[in-house]
Amino acid sequence: MSPTSTSVSTYTRTQTATYLTDVVMGAIADILSDLKIDVTVLYRDWKQDEAAIAAWIEEESLQQVVLECHQPNGTVAPIIEFPVAYTETGKGDATFTADRAALARYRAKLERVPSGTTYGLICTFRKARTPQPGWNPTTRASTDGLKSLKFGTLGSAPHAAVSMRYLH
Amino acid sequence: MQRHRQVAAAPQRRASETWDAICELVVATLDRSPHIVASDVAAAMDAASTVGRVLVAGGHLDIHALVVVADPVYLNITTVSGIAATNLDEDLGPVPGGATSSEWTIHLPTPDPVGDAVRSAVSGVSHLSADEPPGESTSKSSMAEQAGVLNLAALAQRAQERE
Repeated sequence: MSPTSTSVSTYTRTQTATYLTDVVMGAIADILSDLKIDVTVLYRDWKQDEAAIAAWIEEESLQQVVLECHQPNGTVAPIIEFPVAYTETGKGDATFTADRAALARYRAKLERVPSGTTYGLICTFRKARTPQPGWNPTTRASTDGLKSLKFGTLGSAPHAAVSMRYLH
Repeated sequence: MQRHRQVAAAPQRRASETWDAICELVVATLDRSPHIVASDVAAAMDAASTVGRVLVAGGHLDIHALVVVADPVYLNITTVSGIAATNLDEDLGPVPGGATSSEWTIHLPTPDPVGDAVRSAVSGVSHLSADEPPGESTSKSSMAEQAGVLNLAALAQRAQERE
């Protein structure tokens, strides 16, 4: 009988959270840059927001991250949602993937926004969450009357996947 | 001397942690020179940290290298993300050769759509540049190597002439 060996890779929820946080934060930075929206606050608060989103994905409380663009005339559009879908341990992709090339092509089609447009980041939850510094309760802008376009899966990891939806 | 170091990004490290690891590598490499003050290097990298994290998180540094030019050191740093990062044979020790470096510049890549943000972040900061790094072939060390190649060619020609 010939000797055999097996190699089993086990990934942690922390790795899934770290990876998907990078995917979401990187996408948000690229989208805001493409739309020429001032990213000073995003850059300044990066570490705080990164830590919060990673913690909420790891504890599986995060439902979605929402990027709202607030135009000077009061219109809130576009709104970009990043819903997170959790999978049972071992049932998800046993890899880490991000479709950044597809995102780059998609970004080119985003409608431009007027100068002076600002943004807001909002997280919604599927269950009780651990409080994180710098994040306070708020309400989302209405999405009534906005058209919805699905981007599909933006990134996936062993315990969860994140997709993107564009409302305009 | 041309060197390339790869730094494991997500899922091994968050973007901010990855940038910190890159900073430590650059500081440790240039700190080998008695002519370069480590705190100056750390300050320059700190000035670039806001865009550095974005370059990491967006996967831009997976493709476009940050380049440290401190003759004779010419160091390309890229990140590795995804499954490859989980089994990367990482070397974050200082890159040798920096003991004689005196002038140094850290070139940050300017990929779309964050190129303007990078240019804005490095504007007016000493030792940071958003320009394309000079070709390594123009550095003194490489010119010396090239001279060595030419000498070998001349020797070979002489040997042929003697035959």
